[in-house]
Parts: sequence; C-alpha cells; structure tokens
Amino acid sequence: MKYKVGIPRALLYYKYFPMWQKFLSELGAELVVSDITNKRTISQGAARVVSDTCFPVKVFIGHVVSLTDRCDSLLIPIVRSTKRKVYNCSRFLGLPDLTRAVVSNTPPIWEIEFDRNRGQNFLYRQIYSLGSRFTRNPLKIKEAADKAWESHVQYKKMMCEQNLMRVEVIKLIQGQMVKPEIRDNNQLMTIGLVGHPYVLHDEQISHYLIKRLLSYGLRVLTPEMVPEMSFDYQSGAQVAGLARSYWESEEDILEAGEYYIGTKVDGIIGMMPFACGPDSLMMNLIQRNAQKAGIPFICLTVEEHTADAGIVTRLEAFLDMISRDKRR
Amino acid sequence: MQVTFPHIGNAYIGIKSTLESLGTDVVVPPGCTRRTLTLATRYSPEGICLPFKLNLGNMIEAIELGADTIVNITGHGTCRMGYYHKVQEQILRDMGFDFQMELTGLSEHKLTGFFKMLKKISNNASWTQIISAFHFGLAKVTALDDIEIIANRMRAIEKEKGTITLLYREGTKAIDEAGDYRSLKNVVKDYRRRLKGIKILSGVSPLKVLVAGEIYVVLDTYANMDVELEMGKLGVVTERSLYLSRWAKRGLFYNPLGIDQYRKVHKAAMPYLKRDIGGDGWETIGEKVLGTGHYDGMVHLAPFTCMPEETAQNIMSSTKEDLPVLAIYCDEQTSKAGMLTRLEAFVDMLRMKRNRNGSRLLEE
Repeated sequence: MKYKVGIPRALLYYKYFPMWQKFLSELGAELVVSDITNKRTISQGAARVVSDTCFPVKVFIGHVVSLTDRCDSLLIPIVRSTKRKVYNCSRFLGLPDLTRAVVSNTPPIWEIEFDRNRGQNFLYRQIYSLGSRFTRNPLKIKEAADKAWESHVQYKKMMCEQNLMRVEVIKLIQGQMVKPEIRDNNQLMTIGLVGHPYVLHDEQISHYLIKRLLSYGLRVLTPEMVPEMSFDYQSGAQVAGLARSYWESEEDILEAGEYYIGTKVDGIIGMMPFACGPDSLMMNLIQRNAQKAGIPFICLTVEEHTADAGIVTRLEAFLDMISRDKRR
Repeated sequence: MQVTFPHIGNAYIGIKSTLESLGTDVVVPPGCTRRTLTLATRYSPEGICLPFKLNLGNMIEAIELGADTIVNITGHGTCRMGYYHKVQEQILRDMGFDFQMELTGLSEHKLTGFFKMLKKISNNASWTQIISAFHFGLAKVTALDDIEIIANRMRAIEKEKGTITLLYREGTKAIDEAGDYRSLKNVVKDYRRRLKGIKILSGVSPLKVLVAGEIYVVLDTYANMDVELEMGKLGVVTERSLYLSRWAKRGLFYNPLGIDQYRKVHKAAMPYLKRDIGGDGWETIGEKVLGTGHYDGMVHLAPFTCMPEETAQNIMSSTKEDLPVLAIYCDEQTSKAGMLTRLEAFVDMLRMKRNRNGSRLLEE
C-alpha cells in the first residue's frame, strides 16, 4: 500500500498544488486532498481557533480536521519568502505549529520551509529532507524536484496564457476535466478581481463570486491571468506606493491591481477575508489608486457569518452602477 | 524644519531629547486622546491594527500644530509595522497635507540608518554630536523604564492609593525636563528613593502578573487602557516582558552583532513554535513558558487583528505549562469598562487559585 500524504485544500494549495503533487507522486506517495470546502469544514475549523483568527485559516483547520483519519501524514509547507526580503504573512509561518496546537489528533506533520534569504543550500536541504522520507537516493529526489518545478512553471503559464482559473488548471492537470473552450472576450464589461487565490477560488469562502460574475455574462479577470512582469518595477511607482511589495502573498494582488488600473478595466472587485492583516493595507492602496484613476472599486469582506444575500445585493448594485455609467 | 514623530508610550521623551539636543525644532504630538483615535479611525483602512491608527492620529495632530517633517519607521518582515509608512503617507497626502517623511529602518541598517536619518534632519550635525545626543536619549528612556518598574511593583502594596501614580507622573515629567546627565541622574535617584520610601501595607503578598504581547500596546498606556495601573489598583504587581530601553538596546546593538538576547525565550518556545513568525509572537509564547512558576498569571496584550499575536494566542492555549492567561485585544471599539470587568474576574480567579494551593508566598 502506498504511503498517504494529506494535503488540505486551502491556503497554499491553490498556489503550489501541481508542484507538490508532481514531487510526491514521482517519489511514490499517494496524495489525499481534502474535499471541497463545505459548511461543515468551516464550522469545524472555526470552533477550534480563537474567534478573531482570519477566515481562511479557520477553513484550513477545518480541512485538516477532515483529513485526520484519512492519511498517514500531513504536508504543510511554510513559504517564508520566494524573493529576497519579501516575506510571507505571520499566519503562514506559524501554520504547522498552530495546527498541532489546535487539532489534537493530527497525523505527523511534514513541514518544509522555503526561505530565499537563507540561500540555495537551505532550499536544497529542505527539499532533500522531504524527499528522503521516500528514498535515500539524492539523484532521484533531484529528478522529482526538477519535474515538480517544471509542472509549476507550466501551471503558471497555462493560467496566464490561456486565461484559465487556478482550479480549472489543477483539474486539467489531474485529467479530471477536458479543456474548456476559450472564453469569449467580447463581452459587455471586464471586471478585475483582486484577492488571494484561496479566497477567490474557494467557492464557499467567496460565495461563488466568480460563477456569479460569469453568469451575468461578464469577462472576469483574476490575478493569476495577469501576465507576469507586464510592467517594469524599475521605472518606479507607476501607481504610487504599489511598486515594491512587502508580503509574498500580496504580490499577485498588487500586480493585478496595478495591471487593472493600467489597462482600464470597467470595475475592480476586491475580496478580502475579515481580519486579514496584509489585505487591510493593500486593498486600501488599490482602492485609493483606483479612485484616482476613476475606476469603480468595491471591497467585499467575507467571514463565516457573511450571508449570500448581502454579497449578491452589493454585487448587483455595483454592477448596475457601472453599466449605467457606461450607457451614459 | 519642524520635526514630529509618533508617541509610542514614553518613547517620545527619548526621541524628543535626542532631536532637541541636536538643535532641531520638535513638535511633540499631543498625548493620545479620544480625538486622536476618532480622527485616525476615520481615515484609516478598515481592518488595520490599533498602532497604525494611533500613529496616524499623532501625525495628523502634529501637522495641525505646524509640523512639516515626520519621522516614521520602515522595514521588511512579516508584520504590518514596516509597511505603515507607505499607506500613512498616502492617507496624509490625500488629506491635503504637505510634509516630508523621513524613514528609519526597523529590520536592517538599524543603527546606521537611524544615525543617517538624524544627520539629515539635524542639518548636518557632526557624528559625535549625533552619537552623544542619541546616547542621552537612550539614557532618558532607560531612566523612565527604571522608575516605571519600581512604580509597577510598589503600586500594589501602597497604603494610600494613588500616591505612586502621582509620584510616577511627576517623575516622568522631571525626566522629560532634565537637561543633562547630572540632573537626569539626580532625578532618577531622587524618584527611586521616593517611590521606594512610601508607606506600604504590611503582611501582604501581592499577586504577580506578567504583561506580555505586542510591543506597541504593551508600551502605550493609552492603547492598553492603563492595564498596569488598573492591576496595581487591584493589588497586583505587574512585570513586563519588554521595556523600550532593553528592546532598543537589543535591536540596535546586539542583533547587528549576531547576539540573540532572547535566546532563552526562543528556546523555551521551541516545542510549541519552531520559528520566528514576526512581531513579538515567538517571544510571547516563550515568556509564557518561562513565566510559569514565577508568576501567578499573564496578561496577553495585542491589537485586534494582529497576525503574530493571534497565532501565538492559538498556540499558547495548548502549552503544557499551565499559566492562566487573560488575552486583551485592544481596538478603538474596546471599552475600558469591559476590560476592567474581565481584569477583576481574572484577578479574583488568580486569588482563589492561590488560596486553594495554600497561600504560597512568592519570593520577593
């Protein structure tokens, strides 16, 4: 029987899953991914942590709980930084320890840390320490790591070039879905979404935001569709204050925000979880700059008590406002 | 050039003295009041933490008084503190203020960056002047912490309630006004003697509580609603995990040399949290572990939505070491009455616990 490694379908899953999957399956592990978030996941997670912990972390804990008796160990990597002097939010760094503290019967947690500031060797050691749980052969681990990186690059490319959402690409890679036809780009309005992937693409958290927007017949852009380096950081702050990023997890948001403002989309919808530290500053920056550029912006805050109706009402009002403005 | 800076507890006294001895015009923002907070909350992002709001409020009120240069901190790291300045600058500019923002690093080039910043705003003072001015500022901060430690210890056992608080406020003012090392030394000596010489209750062994958490709310009495004073009134001796002088010395001198002054604390936190999560989260957990057995309880202070402290709080509840912890989250919505009620209940609980365990006398 294969060794089962559990991966919670939350937080970093959306950013790095294809990479982890390739690496672990190359080394002969079986991956167990928790089910799509549901009401039960949320309530189980929220019951275990302090009430003002951010919403996605609560969901993450819920996913961990649902995995406890289904796998032999859990993979919770820590991404401290992927660029020099750009770090991740505290909540990501303390995730394995937090999980251990609040879920008493977790399977052993495999934590590997990615920290660009500690040099290449540190990275190799971390990869080896994960791989060595399956094989002692460093060459085999290297091969798996190379393949994993390739699939990560491919994942990013597919999202950006083919205008696909993260979840769709993950399904495509796993062969659970055939390629969707290319979306019609001649729709009425283009709406840019800003927010973390684990908020926008988790339908329970985002209250089906993307589906709703698509059903209105709009063209929806998500942060991962923004071409990488479509603007140049060196030329200074095009949109003041957005130039240098500070948090690893906010990079996409800033780039997306800047891209939307630069390409003049019809409206920007920001979605942030309640009590999100980084977002509280970044959304404000994007809002200020969108305002100056004359682009409508709305920020929707979600938490476990948010009701569908509230989101829909605000969304419809916002879209009505834009379309009325366009008709004029 | 009219220079201003955020209050941050008593830190403004040190910064003010440093800048003034360099001959810079200083505008000290008025002390934090309801107005400061209301004003700042109106212009701040929704989910931001309390230190941001209070700092912004300080800046607005100082600009109203004529300041045109703001000293602010920058840095990189996992906590929001290092990013404050960008958003604060935009907010103030959008409000129509004209000013200049000078930054000093929190995470790299700490000492050199600070000195360079001082040189810039002091119209090219000589390096010796800067270093001696900085040294004097640091001496003042140390003196302030010195008498604060005594005040927090004596307040619990004073016979006539309120004497210590009055004396302490007088002492703070005297330190603020001291012009040179000699008078500073005399002031400290004088107030140490007077604070220690008050009439005390005999035969009591007060509860001892550790106050730990995020640096800003621990240091700033407006932000934490005078939690130490209130505990003193309830007859509890408080000790802090961090004092500004020690923190500054650690950050400015030891860390660049690669000395980790908090190694003991970090080591204690290791079984529960393996790495630095930014802010003071790691230290908070370590303090709880180390404090078990030495203290009767712990008050954990954090601003609402503080990322490191929340992680720490989640982890702290599961430690093997069993120290009662009262978490107080500070925000503009927090009311003092609510805090007091919880504080009283907490202190009552600690008393009962001690009585049950046999009135164990703490080594004092």
